[in-house]
Amino acid sequence: MTGIAADAVPVYTGVADMRRIARELLEAGDVRVIIGWESGPRGARPVFVTDPADTDKLIFDTRCVHNLVTYLNPRRDHVAELGKIGLVVKGCDTKAVAGLLRESQVRRDDVVLIGVRCGGVLEENEIPAAVALTPENVAPRCYGCDVREPTLVDHLVGEPQPEPPRPVTTIDERVAALEDMPLEERWAFWTDQFSNCVRCYACRQVCPMCVCESCIVEKSQPQWIEPAAHPRGNLSWNVTRALHLAGRCIDCGECERFCPVGIPLTLVNRKLQQIVADRYDYKVSDDPENPTPIGDYRLDDQQEFIK
Amino acid sequence: MTDATDKGAADTGVAQRYFIGEDDLRTLTGDLLAAGTEVIAPVAIDICQSPSAIAASACTRPGVAPVEIEYRRLASATELDLGRGLPELSLKGYFLPEHEALCRWHQHGTTVEVEPVPTEFAPRVVLAAKPCDSAALAVVDQVMNWDYHDELWNGRRAATTIINLACPVIDEGCFCTAVGAAPDDVKGADGLLTPVDGGYILEVTTEKGRALATAHEARLSADVPADTLGRQADDERAAVRARVAGNLEIDAASVRDWIDTHFEDPLLASLANRCNGCGACTSVCPTCHCFDIVDEEEGVGHGTRRRLWDTCQSPTFTLHASGHNPRDDQNVRYRQRINHKFSIYPLKFGEVLCTGCGRCTRVCHAGQDLIEILSEIDIAARRPRETEAGTPAEAGAAS
Repeated sequence: MTGIAADAVPVYTGVADMRRIARELLEAGDVRVIIGWESGPRGARPVFVTDPADTDKLIFDTRCVHNLVTYLNPRRDHVAELGKIGLVVKGCDTKAVAGLLRESQVRRDDVVLIGVRCGGVLEENEIPAAVALTPENVAPRCYGCDVREPTLVDHLVGEPQPEPPRPVTTIDERVAALEDMPLEERWAFWTDQFSNCVRCYACRQVCPMCVCESCIVEKSQPQWIEPAAHPRGNLSWNVTRALHLAGRCIDCGECERFCPVGIPLTLVNRKLQQIVADRYDYKVSDDPENPTPIGDYRLDDQQEFIK
Repeated sequence: MTDATDKGAADTGVAQRYFIGEDDLRTLTGDLLAAGTEVIAPVAIDICQSPSAIAASACTRPGVAPVEIEYRRLASATELDLGRGLPELSLKGYFLPEHEALCRWHQHGTTVEVEPVPTEFAPRVVLAAKPCDSAALAVVDQVMNWDYHDELWNGRRAATTIINLACPVIDEGCFCTAVGAAPDDVKGADGLLTPVDGGYILEVTTEKGRALATAHEARLSADVPADTLGRQADDERAAVRARVAGNLEIDAASVRDWIDTHFEDPLLASLANRCNGCGACTSVCPTCHCFDIVDEEEGVGHGTRRRLWDTCQSPTFTLHASGHNPRDDQNVRYRQRINHKFSIYPLKFGEVLCTGCGRCTRVCHAGQDLIEILSEIDIAARRPRETEAGTPAEAGAAS
């Protein structure tokens, strides 16, 4: 932590407003729980506030990496039981809300969104205090952020934030470096990465867009994907997970961050985004009316692969 | 097949102490490898080595050289890492692999031929194991020899000699002493290395440990003056115990009994709102041992029956064929993990199913913190006793 801690962190003025709005929503009974971030024993973490008196726990700073929209996921019964949710979201997180709306997984009236203007978050958030962003510590996905002014929210707090710094190496540059590898080397790279997979499914569990009531990997009659962590099973799982998110992934990077063995899933996801952008002129956005290629049919879709 | 439970038990009496220089320890490692013995030990892996560098964005920054420590089968003695960091995954996988074949089947017409897998294993040595990882093996020995004696687990336990390296305590996430383990534990192991000036004090505590020392006598010195090197080792061991004890102190027996009698308590029933139910905690846990068994059909009429790690954090873990699921939400599943480790297992086997390595807390990016949870349960468990203790005094004051 030394070295980066010296950078002064500007105070985020929106926090007082965020706490006030949260308190008022709870007091008025408009929501039953506020899901935001708090400062925990090992850094920022999600917090569930049900008592208006506890809203002072809420924070927002560069450590607030988590995409809390995952808690809106309809398969989280224990969260749904708490009652109507007030959710604190960064601009990028609202893309996940838009995704859930687009796929009819939630209704807009089911949730109150408190948006925070964000100038980027850290890649490594498990530190005792917030630090200012630098090219070395910024989450690479923040580069080129196009939702710094969230629109899909009920309340918006904080002053406009500066643009996040450009990371030392961008995700696109890393994807390009992979593409430059000869096919055999690239295959060896991914085989090696996927060989580390322990099949805990953290990538799926934390993903705000993995909404299936029953995941294909849990189907056993027939067994489409072998659950053993051998090369065959691991390749099937990781490729299927990625393909099921093609054109749906909102690029929050939570799958990679939660992976206990450090598989660079962001690189797979980004490659798929590039392919979808290239073939269908589609970029995932915070507009729920913007249909995904998988849920849309256009006469001018490329179909030269049909022979 | 003898019980693995005998294997890890330390013999009575004072353990034989030896001094071994760091170079001699590497030479001994080389001797084992040269003799064809498999040696498993911590290895520091430069994750930024090509071609994997692209995998970690940290590697794209100048001047950063992140390493990961993992237990690996050594190819050479130089790989042995004595830096005493915590391996990413515990030793568990070397005894209960992530997946392993239980048998293979071949169908011939109406008959099925079952081909068993070997349950005898070649001798192997684990060097510089984390004491929390070896202690976990001894704890899991109990369930692996409770009603059914697991031949694969016991076979690997019997074939393996484990020499621990006293741990310096990793960070504030460690709490081994709160759950009956210790940073200088030899539980589940056959010996312990403690760093001293110029090398290590080796103490061997079991027959397997003594056999290893005898076979490599040339690398060891039995001359360990009690007032110099001996005292240094004792002081180091006492210092690390004191250091880790500050992280968490609980009354494990009260915690066990409180959980047993407070199944519906709001504290236990709503532990896991932020939990994503991913099961990464159970994957990295040295004591989580639940497994699933699947049949992999590898072609027409033949296949492999395989067991693999399972996790109580997955809804399918308890999904009944009827469609009913007794643990149908994440709070209930998380309570089960706490209950099993700190109440069910201790009540059945007399040992906590946790050795305080802290991996579950470090791996959880949602911020579930076992130290925090155990502290809360400990406070709840102490509360009635303190009230009872206070009652007579209050009564006395009132009268």
